[in-house]
Amino acid sequence: MKITTTLITALSLATTPVLASDVVRISGWGGNDLVVVNSLLNEVLADDIRAAGITVRYEPVEGDFAQYLTNALSAGTAADVFYVDSFWGAPLFRSGAIAPVSNANQAVADALIPALNEAFMYNGQLMGLAKDFNTLALQFNKDIFDDAGVAYPTMDDTWHDFRSKLQAVSTNLGDVHGICVVPDYARFAAFALGTGWSPFNEQGHTVLDDRFRDAFEFYTTLPDQGAGVMAADVGQGWMGGCFGDETTAVAIEGSWISGFLRDQAPSMQYGTVGIPVHPGTGERGNLIFTVSWSVANDSQVKDSAHKLIELLMSPKAQQWVLESGLALPSRESLGNNPYFNGTGQEAEISRVVFNGASDGYVEPFAFAQYGGDWKSIMDEALGAALLKERTIDDAIRHAQQQFDRLTGR
Amino acid sequence: MNQSMLRQERTAGLMFALPFCVSLFVFFVYALVRTVLFSFQTYDLFSTPEWVGVANYIALLTDPLFALALKHSLAFAVVVTTLQTGLALLLALAANQKIKGRGAFRTIFYFPSILSSAAMTLIFLWLFQRQGLINQGLGWLSAHGGLIVTGGLLFFALQTLQFLWKRRKYTWMRWGDPFNGLVSFAVTVVVMVIMAGYGIGVRALEQPVAITWLNTREVWGPLPRTIWAIVAMNIFTTVPTLMLLYLAGLQSIPESLYEAARIEGASRWQQLRHVTWPRLMPVSFTVVTLGIIGTLQMFDQVALLGDAAPLESKVTLAYFTYHNAFPPGGSPRIGMASAAALVLATLTLILVLIQRAVGVSETTND
Repeated sequence: MKITTTLITALSLATTPVLASDVVRISGWGGNDLVVVNSLLNEVLADDIRAAGITVRYEPVEGDFAQYLTNALSAGTAADVFYVDSFWGAPLFRSGAIAPVSNANQAVADALIPALNEAFMYNGQLMGLAKDFNTLALQFNKDIFDDAGVAYPTMDDTWHDFRSKLQAVSTNLGDVHGICVVPDYARFAAFALGTGWSPFNEQGHTVLDDRFRDAFEFYTTLPDQGAGVMAADVGQGWMGGCFGDETTAVAIEGSWISGFLRDQAPSMQYGTVGIPVHPGTGERGNLIFTVSWSVANDSQVKDSAHKLIELLMSPKAQQWVLESGLALPSRESLGNNPYFNGTGQEAEISRVVFNGASDGYVEPFAFAQYGGDWKSIMDEALGAALLKERTIDDAIRHAQQQFDRLTGR
Repeated sequence: MNQSMLRQERTAGLMFALPFCVSLFVFFVYALVRTVLFSFQTYDLFSTPEWVGVANYIALLTDPLFALALKHSLAFAVVVTTLQTGLALLLALAANQKIKGRGAFRTIFYFPSILSSAAMTLIFLWLFQRQGLINQGLGWLSAHGGLIVTGGLLFFALQTLQFLWKRRKYTWMRWGDPFNGLVSFAVTVVVMVIMAGYGIGVRALEQPVAITWLNTREVWGPLPRTIWAIVAMNIFTTVPTLMLLYLAGLQSIPESLYEAARIEGASRWQQLRHVTWPRLMPVSFTVVTLGIIGTLQMFDQVALLGDAAPLESKVTLAYFTYHNAFPPGGSPRIGMASAAALVLATLTLILVLIQRAVGVSETTND
């Protein structure tokens, strides 16, 4: 009996087809993203993933993802595939813990908006594929502009036009401000970059030159010029908050504001145009906020990990992301997608934000190996000038000293 | 006891002590040794650590942010330990009174300490906004300053009048008699309401009070304004716990000592000065020591501020250590973080030893 059982077991094992299924662990942040990734894996790509012989184990992380990833990569416990934000990517790329994009995925990389690939270049190698992105755009409340009798902002507005319109709104309506400004480089950059200034020169140093001063003065004096107010003075922490409660006529935010407005101000009629252009250069400045899919260098299933990323970045997956209205996919060809030609305000904001990645002086929201240390110097200078704790020249001089210490000169 | 039983008892004792010894070794001895080693190396968690001798310590000495963190930590420790010890004692004395609803008062006093510091910090972030409750309260005080001063003077005058009147009638009365105080207070409130109704003592503010508490570089005295906001948060959450220690201390003082003091004619102040305070010395020692350790290591409230405040206005030694270990968007600087952590540990030890040598004693001296 025992022999018979053993023979049957051996026979059945021999006739069972071998399923070479690599288990690929993927990791990202929790919150809303959990639903998005689960839907993408289980509803859109399930068959493709199975056909590729891959089993995906999804491990979302709540809390500080950058810190988790740094610890996990250094301890060798990181997932095979994970998000890398352009803001904190450089130190991880430099550590050698992340594998460059494989040759097999080069075709995918070539299909992406070039500026997105720039955000993940390190020492001439592409270290991740931008899964989606956002840029800044100008949202304006149509009713407020109508009530004030002021023309809507347009794509051709210069800084001066922009400021004049905000001043006119404030003057004509009294209880509505033009814009609420925040001491945050992530918004101020829309003006600083438009002058042609760059956060780092060719030697990798930060130099706050006259172009920078031009933007710094324009931005920090918007409240003095009667064109705006500090967000903190109207009880808000971001431009979207002031815009959502109709305290201000405009905001400078990415497409993430559309979900907020859908909830907070569902009846608001708003339009979206690009950032105003600098009167001198005739260009607009913009930041790209993006996150890549990257692979751990010590992954035991590197080929499958790269294959999985290829699927996650496939036209089918990106089309689903776009149509879900969850994020802006990074394939350049999707710029021609019918979704962007819609007349709705959310289609409009998506179109302007998508085009923002290729329009004017665009930089990734990344500061080499300095990360938050760089940004905090800039934010402090903006805060000091906006609060009148330093004059514009003092704030710039103090910031330059700190940048010299940080980036050298 | 025979040898076998003695051996068994010894083994049992060792087995009981083993978990503690293991955790002590892993999480303290081993961690301390590693930290000391890292403090002499450059290490970013990825590459092989490189021996640099005392370079990290020299870098600390030349880093303006470290000097700022050290200054903030020391000033914060002195200010908060002093304030929280005094307030805890006052609250404990109040909560120890034999009055109606004593349990309710004790619960109310103790309530802030059961809330997590994370939750409290988020609430305080809201309170300290430019249009938050703190500024609105200051605005109200500023607008009604004249009325409040007038009310205070009126109360003082009424109380003094009652005192003098009773003395004239040869009736004994303390100036601070609670019943007469209640009468004075009631009359004062009525007069103030009438004055407010006529707009007397009330002024319209040209601008609402808009002090920037958090996102500012302003310095008030020894600390940035941002850290003064953290002082308020910290005291609010720590005082109740320390009050509980004092309350336990107060209740352990025998009533017979007060009876003897009263028979000798000691006033309330003399009882407090010569009976209560000396008997509370061991508790004060605990409270001050816990205060110094807790304030020097204060971290969570600074970390939770996030981008709401500039780094220079909020950095303390504990945050400086964390900031070096996990710089936002930057490479970990474990060597610098370890050196700073050891400086913090040494500083804490020195301050506790100093306070033990010259500060509050741990014995009752009797």
